[in-house]
Amino acid sequence: MAPGPSGNIAAVSELISVRGIDKSFGAVKAVADLSFSVSSGEVYGLLGPNGAGKTTTLRILATLLTPDAGEATIAGHDLKREGEAIRSTIGVVNGGMGLYDRLTGREILHYFGGLYGMKRADIDRRIEELDELLQLGDTLSRRAGGYSTGMKQKIVVARAVLHDPTIIFFDEATSGLDVVARRAVIDFVKAYPSAGRAVIYSTHVMGEVEELCDRACIIYQGRKIAEGTVKELAAAGEGKGLEDAFFQLIKRFDLSTGAAA
Amino acid sequence: MRPGIISRLARKEIVSTLRDTRAIVSNLLIPLLLVPLMMLGLPLLLGGLFEREQVTVTEVGVVGLENAPTKLLEAFKAGNLGLKPVDDATQAVQDGTVTVAVVVPDDIERLITSGGSAQLELVSKVGNMKSELNASKVQQAVSAYQSEIVAARLQSAGLDTAVLHPVTVKTVDASSKAERSSGQLSWLIPFFIAIWTLTGGQMTAIDATAGEKERGTLEVLLVAPVRRSEVVAGKFIATMLFGLSAATMAIVGFLVGSLVMQRVFVPRLGDQADSIVSVMGGSIAVGPLAIVQLLVSAVLLAAFVSALLLGVAMFARSFKEAQSYVAPLSFLFILPAVGLQFKDLIGVSDSVYYVPVLNTLLLMDNVVRGTAVGSEMLVTWAVMLVAVLILLRFALRNFQRESVIFRS
Repeated sequence: MAPGPSGNIAAVSELISVRGIDKSFGAVKAVADLSFSVSSGEVYGLLGPNGAGKTTTLRILATLLTPDAGEATIAGHDLKREGEAIRSTIGVVNGGMGLYDRLTGREILHYFGGLYGMKRADIDRRIEELDELLQLGDTLSRRAGGYSTGMKQKIVVARAVLHDPTIIFFDEATSGLDVVARRAVIDFVKAYPSAGRAVIYSTHVMGEVEELCDRACIIYQGRKIAEGTVKELAAAGEGKGLEDAFFQLIKRFDLSTGAAA
Repeated sequence: MRPGIISRLARKEIVSTLRDTRAIVSNLLIPLLLVPLMMLGLPLLLGGLFEREQVTVTEVGVVGLENAPTKLLEAFKAGNLGLKPVDDATQAVQDGTVTVAVVVPDDIERLITSGGSAQLELVSKVGNMKSELNASKVQQAVSAYQSEIVAARLQSAGLDTAVLHPVTVKTVDASSKAERSSGQLSWLIPFFIAIWTLTGGQMTAIDATAGEKERGTLEVLLVAPVRRSEVVAGKFIATMLFGLSAATMAIVGFLVGSLVMQRVFVPRLGDQADSIVSVMGGSIAVGPLAIVQLLVSAVLLAAFVSALLLGVAMFARSFKEAQSYVAPLSFLFILPAVGLQFKDLIGVSDSVYYVPVLNTLLLMDNVVRGTAVGSEMLVTWAVMLVAVLILLRFALRNFQRESVIFRS
């Protein structure tokens, strides 16, 4: 049985509310009746194996995919009717996201800043802030085609937060990164949430959830099979940590649906 | 749609393409250099070959050289033909000893002087350009000899050579000045515009669609607060611009080639100059109104091509896959463009002006020849405009479909 929802974290204000989202691709049910909410100041984890439905969930919340059923509100905007307003308030960092090879880091940031309706002077000011925060250095003046993986990820993160979004989605953001680049991303996620902001952090790495997330839900075969604080989730593993809890919860789910047989 | 966002999206695609050396070389430099090279190279090569063959003394194998009348030998000599005795005419041509050979019958002298007719046998290789060219030189020499005999026979009978031509035909060219000056290859202008619009827009269109998917930048772009219609519009403008640039370069190359041909190479082409320049459309002269009509047609063609490229390339997951989708599209433009040269033979009905692309190519050909009609022009432009809007809708739909955006 999944741990109950975390009732011990006071919802200061709800920035994300997802209610009964469904999404299928042909005969494949990618997300099934998924509901959760994220409060201001929170880092919320989506934990699950590859193919569990984490990326589909984030793409739905980013308005890239339309859900078959269910509702959601992002920063007060309705998912189905206010896509453009939602996209103005979110930032997305995805491990598979790329850059324009023939543009410099500064040009990329100016391009996206313009698409977000920012003025040139504001973009320059924000680039300076991000340079200090993320140590962008010469990535700003070099063309992205010559970047190392770490440099690339810095610009990807800078691009996602350039417009100072209320909510950021990190989707497998550290996959393929070396230890230094990975640490930079994790430190950034730790520092980002504050009053009025939230982060959804999607990963299959247990350690990152333990280190970063206030609360998390475990998604498996498109369904939420558990939700709670990291401590509450780990409790399902009979004191052996989050990873054991994760496997036990999946095993229980398979048994309950007959998949294990 | 917000013009500022569209302009930003288009500018990014333009900058990105301008920094791609391959795109610059294939879109701008190649049409600029290749077209005049093709124009000048071929006629110069052919002109040079013809001139050389006319001037060079051609060796002709002769069986029965001793039988040849003096006047025939003189005609051969006047026609730059050197005579080489051979035993077997066919064998001599087959083994390459000579390119052409003649068999002179034993009784030729007797037959000619008695007012009869003798038959020479001309041996050449059909299909071998040099052999056929030299055979024609032999025939010209024999024809000159024959005219001389006929004139002598008529004179001895107290008749004038005019008796052989009771009716003559004088040809009068009814073509307009534009038609005459456009040459037989005037269809090259619409051909270049069609082909280079497609080639020039291709890289930008693929890079802006399948390239974005392959790099993983499409998702980032669509997560920004831009509308899909704005994304399509920005990419469409950039693609069209590069398509038109390439077509413009090809036309500039064509005009430069014409100019160089007339000013520099014509004097070197000798007698062949007029016919070669005419065939190559070397003296095409279109007025300001025709230039505007060509420009409107080219813009509509580029718009059609760009919308089609964006819609089709969006299906692909990678740059390479998109190239394989786009490559067959060239036949849509090459076949009708090449077919234009036979339009007088095939005959064109008015209904053709309702067929997108074909109508524009025809119209541009007519504009160059100065025979374009106002009603054809309006129908063509209206049909193309509707076709462009339909294709833009098709491209937009592909930018909205989840199964296309996230196709994997």
